[in-house]
Amino acid sequence: MPAVKGDGMRGLAVFISDIRNCKSKEAEIKRINKELANIRSKFKGDKTLDGYQKKKYVCKLLFIFLLGHDIDFGHMEAVNLLSSNKYTEKQIGYLFISVLISASSDLMKLVIQCIRNDLVSRNPIHITLALQCVANIGSREMAESLSIDIPSLLVSGDTIDSVKQSAALTLLRLLRTAPELQMGEWTSRIIHLLNDQHMGVVTSAASLIEALVKKNPEEYKGCVSLAVSRLSRIVTSSYTDLQDYTYYFVPAPWLSVKLLRLLQNYPPPEDPSVRTRLTECLETILNKAQEPPKSKKVQHSNAKNAVLFEAINLIIHMDSDPNLLVRACNQLGQFLQHKETNLRYLALESMCLLATSEFSHEAVKKHQDTVITALKTERDVSVRQRAVDLLYAMCDRTNAEEIVGEMLEYLETADYSIREEMVLKVAILAEKYAVDYTWYVDVILNLIRIAGDYVSEEVWYRVIQIVINRDDVQGYAAKTVFEALQAPACHENMVKVGGYILGEFGNLIAGDPRSSPIVQFQLLHSKYHLCSPSTRGLLLSTYIKFINLFPEIKPQIQEILGSKNNMRNPDVELQQRSIEYLQLSSKATADVLATVLEEMPPFPERESSILAKLKKKKPSSVAETAIETTKEHKAMPAAQINSDGQPTLQISSPSSAGSADLLGLDIGGMSAPVDSSSSGGGGQSASDLLVDILGGPVPGGIGGGVGVGTTNGLDSSGLTVGAEENFLKFITKLNGVLYENDLLQIGVKAEYRQNLGRVGLFYGNKTSFQFTQFTTSISCPGQLSTHILYK
Amino acid sequence: MIGGLFIYNHKGEVLISRVYRDDIGRNAVDAFRVNVIHARQQVRSPVTNIARTSFFHVKRSNIWLAAVTKQNVNAAMVFEFLFKMVEVMQSYFGKISEDNIKNNFVLIYEILDEILDFGYPQNTDTGILKTFITQQGVKSQSKEETAQITSQVTGQIGWRREGIKYRRNELFLDVLESVNLLMSPQGQVLSAHVAGRIVMKSYLSGMPECKFGINDKLLMESKGKSSLDDAGRGGATGKTAIAIDDCQFHQCVKLSKFETEHSISFIPPDGEYELMKYRTTKDISLPFRVIPLVREVGRQKMEVKVVVKSNFKPSLLAQKVEVRIPTPLNTSGVQVICMKGKAKYKASENAIVWKIKRMGGMKECQLSAEIELLNTNDKKKWTRPPISMNFEVPFAPSGFKVRYLKVFEPKMNYSDHDVIKWVRYIGRSGLYETRC
Repeated sequence: MPAVKGDGMRGLAVFISDIRNCKSKEAEIKRINKELANIRSKFKGDKTLDGYQKKKYVCKLLFIFLLGHDIDFGHMEAVNLLSSNKYTEKQIGYLFISVLISASSDLMKLVIQCIRNDLVSRNPIHITLALQCVANIGSREMAESLSIDIPSLLVSGDTIDSVKQSAALTLLRLLRTAPELQMGEWTSRIIHLLNDQHMGVVTSAASLIEALVKKNPEEYKGCVSLAVSRLSRIVTSSYTDLQDYTYYFVPAPWLSVKLLRLLQNYPPPEDPSVRTRLTECLETILNKAQEPPKSKKVQHSNAKNAVLFEAINLIIHMDSDPNLLVRACNQLGQFLQHKETNLRYLALESMCLLATSEFSHEAVKKHQDTVITALKTERDVSVRQRAVDLLYAMCDRTNAEEIVGEMLEYLETADYSIREEMVLKVAILAEKYAVDYTWYVDVILNLIRIAGDYVSEEVWYRVIQIVINRDDVQGYAAKTVFEALQAPACHENMVKVGGYILGEFGNLIAGDPRSSPIVQFQLLHSKYHLCSPSTRGLLLSTYIKFINLFPEIKPQIQEILGSKNNMRNPDVELQQRSIEYLQLSSKATADVLATVLEEMPPFPERESSILAKLKKKKPSSVAETAIETTKEHKAMPAAQINSDGQPTLQISSPSSAGSADLLGLDIGGMSAPVDSSSSGGGGQSASDLLVDILGGPVPGGIGGGVGVGTTNGLDSSGLTVGAEENFLKFITKLNGVLYENDLLQIGVKAEYRQNLGRVGLFYGNKTSFQFTQFTTSISCPGQLSTHILYK
Repeated sequence: MIGGLFIYNHKGEVLISRVYRDDIGRNAVDAFRVNVIHARQQVRSPVTNIARTSFFHVKRSNIWLAAVTKQNVNAAMVFEFLFKMVEVMQSYFGKISEDNIKNNFVLIYEILDEILDFGYPQNTDTGILKTFITQQGVKSQSKEETAQITSQVTGQIGWRREGIKYRRNELFLDVLESVNLLMSPQGQVLSAHVAGRIVMKSYLSGMPECKFGINDKLLMESKGKSSLDDAGRGGATGKTAIAIDDCQFHQCVKLSKFETEHSISFIPPDGEYELMKYRTTKDISLPFRVIPLVREVGRQKMEVKVVVKSNFKPSLLAQKVEVRIPTPLNTSGVQVICMKGKAKYKASENAIVWKIKRMGGMKECQLSAEIELLNTNDKKKWTRPPISMNFEVPFAPSGFKVRYLKVFEPKMNYSDHDVIKWVRYIGRSGLYETRC
């Protein structure tokens, strides 16, 4: 028999030891069944169970429940225990309730009544038990029915401190389940808890107030001055003053941290006296950091640093006092070389925030070398990640070249998990701070060379946009690309950039015999077979452009275009391109070719798409970069950022537009195949891809034909998602469904003979009612005879 | 092709592990423990597939026996083997328990090496195994003896050695049947079948050949055609012939003779063995009928009345009759009254157990119980599990009869008449349930 001390329950101890001694699961289940039957007969039988017995059986039930069996009785007995006056019985009752009774149970009303009785009782132990139970369950129902009792406990003068503490935390818990809870009249009195004598009460009240402030900052504005004065009292006190609340020689670190966090919800205080007081506090905290540690224990430094970091966060949040910012920065600079990895991590993280402040930006820059060594020598990848973030944040025009260089150098050995992000950051920095665009081109090409796999589409789209828009770098870009391509193994992205740039500006370097047209062509074609279909498509476009640029190598190119490999390629896109380009090159006159294959016109200036990509990847950490971007560039409407280089995003269109509207659009679309067929194969689908690549409304694609123009029009003006799918169908089919929703279906049927076309539209009523006032308006481009039938 | 064989205790600790094929890795042991023994939900299927590996298990008291394979084996073969394995172990060291297995692990590995070869089951006959796997220390056998064992094990009659001599030639034959039944509350038979075994113990000298006759319809009819005499007798005794759905013989039975002449003839192994197994589903005489009457009086009370009727010759006595009446999960108290036997509410099993030591044929017993219920929050209705029964009766419920058992031994000087033969019928309950 296990020994039971004093108040313990012998029966329970015996039962538990029986269960532990069970040899098998079956034996355990048998023992439990027996016990359950016993408890049932006890609960059912004589009503004269005393408190002790009830407590014992409820305990057993609880134990059985915790073993994983269902308990479907005994709830009533547990609730009865609540009204007992003995602490242990009440405690077990509350325990059972918080573990077993679901919030939706019928008994909840009764339980809440019991809790209320306890709350208004004078016995602090009972109140605490009740509060604990509320905090454990924390249901919405409780929040609603106890929303008066608990706050009144909290602010009443005669509740003892420990109860106040519990009340504050319980209220916080209820606030989390029922955020709509209104404090109303209690507001000011709750705020004044910050002035309480007892530090424990202040600590728990600080948590509560912070939650309240997050919800409604205006209403609790009064807490700022109180918090500041409380903070200054703590900070200026010596560690002997606070006795119990001093943790390893640091006075009330948790409370300080909470107060500092609380203050971060508000702008810097306007009242000058409060403001100076706060500044003094922060200065004192910074001063204390300089003092030699009072203890060698890690807890001491942890507590001290926790307060310090929170203070720095507040300083950064206020962003108003240059002196403090610089001091904070210097302090962090010391931590950068600390032997504790966690500290270095935190320092890097906080500095990242500091770097965005105009006052401390310069101060942060002083630590550039340290950060770069951190990037290269840190063991922990998360610390290195922070170092990358910080470098990105501290970068500006003066140090861009160096930072980008270092990052590029590090990229070769960088951890795989941060490579993609680094690539994006390098690309952005290079673009943003490029004074000399040849440098930019170099950086990006290096980037592709070093970490080609991590270079996303956006990055190289962007290079091409920039190269096309800047006349001065075109020649240089062509030369560099040509040289880069000469490497025996180069990344596919490099081939893409190379193909595109040589196709546009190959002529600029054709004078040099080492990069004569035929050499360029052969160089590109040597990579052709190693590439994916999409790249091959791009290279085919390059070849047709070469025909325009260098008529002397036309036969070689035509031979490639006409090769079986291309003409009968299983990939439809490649097949079509090669056939159409071959036809174009053999049929069209030099003039037509020259217009069709003209150089790409400059792109409209817009925000870098890479930035959008980075934002998508890391929504949180790029917040600061976003601020900076707005400083550097003119702010762009969000829609335009999206429409950049992201064909899929473009087609977010007015699906709610009226059917007649859509129809008008679609007829415009329908004319595309007609016109392009009459123009004799304009390579429409081929130009599609280029249009896609460059994104957005690019006037006049490669094809230059009418077909291309209309495609563009469609892309830019937008279609419903379904309609776009349909549109693709119409490229190969002459009839089908144009538009369909719950009410209406519109079909189209078309016939074309030589220069004549006939388009029939069918309206299907999908409802069971008749349409009234059904009108259609059609704008006819060109000579189209329309014939409308509807029923 | 069994890949490996593991034996676990109730905690899932491995007691015996023998791997026969390379495709079974070390982690298979753990996989079974984690997914079956320690599974949160009790695993009821005897076959479990984990990562393309099949685990076949049987449980004896607290011990798990699991056969593992990666191939698509005949599951029935594997289970047959596992049962044989259990039988072999029982005959060597009695009850299968953790202690017994731990104490005999060397022996078990030795047996495992003998009865499974590269995963193919070999001779599992205990009598034979005992001739060369002994529990006594290694006694060096003479060359002749080893040669004899080899020739016997590999010979035509692997199950019997030559030169056996008894002073008294005796033969014991037990017909053991277990009746399975599911009956509706109204007394309609929903399903019923009998699984029977014929277990023999033979103590005969020399190499006797036995012929065994039963009242199987098929055998009787074929005989009827050949001899009028037999048919006449069969007709006179009315419906003595029974329809056996399927049967299975010990390896000693000459199947070719069974097929051509419809006679069961064999040279018996020495000692105890199971000659035949069979199954019948038609014309089963059910020894007992249970008539339940359950009345729910409000939410707090329930009345149960159960009548058990015995349905066999009044001269016979049933033994060990036990009726198990399940009670609802929220039972808080039970009062039972019964005229015969003893009835008790067993809380640990959630059932009223009613035991009657002896009960004659064509009798009727009644039990009535009052069950008090406790109100619960659970709205689920009680599912009323069936009332089950256990018993033992001295006849074969399927109607199986032994017609003759003849022994021929030309070389020794005893004839069929000299052999003392004992025949006994025992009918037991399998899953004998009545819904209420």
